[in-house]
Amino acid sequence: MSFEKKSLNCDILVAGGGIGGLSFAVSIKERMPETDVLVIEKQTAGYSGKANKGGGVLQYFDPEKVQPIDFLKLHVKEIGCYLGDQDMMLRYVAMNKEMIDKLSEWGVSIPRDENGRYRVMPTGPMTAMIRADLDITVQVRRRAEKLGVRFMDKTALSDLLTDGGRIAGAAAFSIIDGTFYVIQAKAVVLATGSQNYRIGSMWSSGRGDGIAAAYRAGAEMRNAEFGNFAQLAKVKSHHEVVFGENNMYNAQGEFITRNFRKTRETDISSTAIREWYVQMKSGKGPIHLEFGEGHPGPGASALQDRLRDQSYGQRFREFNESSAAEVDTDLEVCPLFIGEQSPVCVGHDMQTTVAGLYAIGDCSYCGSGAPGAVPAPPGRNRGSGILNAVFAALVCAESIADSGLSDGAKVDMAQAEACRERLFAPLERNEGTSAKEVIALVQKAMAPVEQSVFMSKDRMELAMQYIKKARELSGKMKAEDLHDLLSCHEAEAMVLSAEMHFFASDIRKESRGWFLREDYPDMDNENWLKWIIVKNVNGEMTYTTRDIPIEKWPVRP
Amino acid sequence: MINTAHRIEFFPEKCVGCQLCYKACFVDVIRWDPEAKKPVFKYVSDCEHCFCCQAVCRKDAIRVIPDYSSEHLLQSFERYA
Ligand SMILES: Cc1cc2nc3c(=O)[nH]c(=O)nc-3n(C[C@H](O)[C@H](O)[C@H](O)COP(=O)(O)OP(=O)(O)OC[C@H]3O[C@@H](n4cnc5c(N)ncnc54)[C@H](O)[C@@H]3O)c2cc1C
Ligand code: SF4
Ligand code: SF4
Repeated sequence: MSFEKKSLNCDILVAGGGIGGLSFAVSIKERMPETDVLVIEKQTAGYSGKANKGGGVLQYFDPEKVQPIDFLKLHVKEIGCYLGDQDMMLRYVAMNKEMIDKLSEWGVSIPRDENGRYRVMPTGPMTAMIRADLDITVQVRRRAEKLGVRFMDKTALSDLLTDGGRIAGAAAFSIIDGTFYVIQAKAVVLATGSQNYRIGSMWSSGRGDGIAAAYRAGAEMRNAEFGNFAQLAKVKSHHEVVFGENNMYNAQGEFITRNFRKTRETDISSTAIREWYVQMKSGKGPIHLEFGEGHPGPGASALQDRLRDQSYGQRFREFNESSAAEVDTDLEVCPLFIGEQSPVCVGHDMQTTVAGLYAIGDCSYCGSGAPGAVPAPPGRNRGSGILNAVFAALVCAESIADSGLSDGAKVDMAQAEACRERLFAPLERNEGTSAKEVIALVQKAMAPVEQSVFMSKDRMELAMQYIKKARELSGKMKAEDLHDLLSCHEAEAMVLSAEMHFFASDIRKESRGWFLREDYPDMDNENWLKWIIVKNVNGEMTYTTRDIPIEKWPVRP
Repeated sequence: MINTAHRIEFFPEKCVGCQLCYKACFVDVIRWDPEAKKPVFKYVSDCEHCFCCQAVCRKDAIRVIPDYSSEHLLQSFERYA
């Protein structure tokens, strides 16, 4: 099969048209209107990604009540467990109002009260939330188009192209007609989301191929072991029950939440997932939720009713909820593995360790260091996903505007050709494994929570057997068509993410925050106030550790 | 999810060819037929039952019918495999 090849040019290439990529595109055009910005999106920018498939909840900090340092103290102690970059977290909290104002200015509908102030619902002593309509990304795309940003939909980034350690551009392909694009750019912004392994429905756009492209290009990864988020879900509809962990009962009617939680916590914890597994293993399952008389039921539905938007978001929720209600005859729950690996390592300017390559939003949330010992988003910090993407976008645009774009790097056509051959190889094979066989093996390693969330050496080894097999088969995949070719490309990325997860998890010999090992149950501040950095060195997965500069930060153990 | 058995009902007579469903599908289940100016539900076994296509269609030309039993949570206990 042969497809057209085309060369393109732009100043800044943005890969991924979710809320992160779109916010960056708008923000950089506001700062540098003459810059030629091209967004490539695997599906359709403005509709794809995650921000329009969730709650639309934006975390809100009332500047009159909450100082950034106060929230930082809570976060570092209870959520990030001393592993977070405190400078980043402080800055994130301090920019809260600016970010929400920006979204509103860009056309996102955010409910206001009769005095024109945002309608805010308090959720805890320090936290509150407001809610954006779910057409959020469509609105920001429209804004970007008005500012002259160019878009290419149904175009997937396949590889990053470098020139002597600096970014030179990227290779991409059309999933509709197979055109292979070589795109020369002065800077590339990865906004391709996280890795979710195609397990949870709504999370399915997170397939990690942007992360894999960065890894292949030699960018460092940080906190890869914190890509194991899981949530309780109803067994029949698989719909998630946010905050359900506070109401867990076993088959004997014992209230098992009390085994892992003495007081209310900010959100689901890995200890709730562990408890489910321990109960099931000792024959005390199934596990179900119970809510007292008069309780509004699972989730924050009372809040939802009051803040409910009327438009697209309401239709989306109603279709989902009413369809699930037809099958949900009880409240039996089990974990839904979600993943959320977001390891691309970036500095305070959102630049990766490859000069000129930036990473924002879900692909670098944990890699930024900001959330600490927790998979993010949501990172036990509800309403931080969308805003972290906006935060990273604004910071990235500011740093590019401040430093300017450097010319120098040139695309090496031989490098691009090698990428093309590798990418299209599954279409050339007459026989081979299907992408789905490979993905199924990765899922067998990642989904069972005793392998990926409540870990131990022997169970991780079992998981690695599946990954080894998946790795072997991934070199022999056969694609039927371009849709399938994309699946092959994604399957390869899933194998890599899973490898990184177990590689880094094996190294971290402690338990910290969300990270749980049965064989190392305690937090070890003596030896493990460290980030694990994973890197591709000549095709070999290697690691180093980096001490956390805890002495320069305000909150210490 | 992979290999799901969700179904999608399409009522072509109601469809006005606005392309919104095609844009809304975030996992490439829906392709566009430029001649017929209608969506083609081409890769239905990849459908995630997100309901986005149905929610954007203001002509009620699409109905998503989830088969939840075809989705697997993949936990080790048989009941949840
Ligand atoms: C069910 C659910 C509920 C949620 N609820 C909330 C909430 O209430 N509040 C909140 O703040 N956050 C919530 N989140 C999280 C939040 O939506 C995300 O953190 C945020 O949208 C991430 O934005 P992003 O742009 O970084 O990534 P994404 O939204 O994942 O966008 C990445 C984009 O990149 C594209 N892409 C991927 N690979 C490639 C490639 N190779 N080439 C080109 N394009 C590519 C994808 O198609 C996608 O459009 C929720 C998420 C889910 C799934
Ligand atoms: S959204 Fe509805 S009207 Fe528009 S193309 Fe799709 S089916 Fe037709
Ligand atoms: S329900 Fe979602 S995944 Fe399925 S076809 Fe519609 S938009 Fe695509």
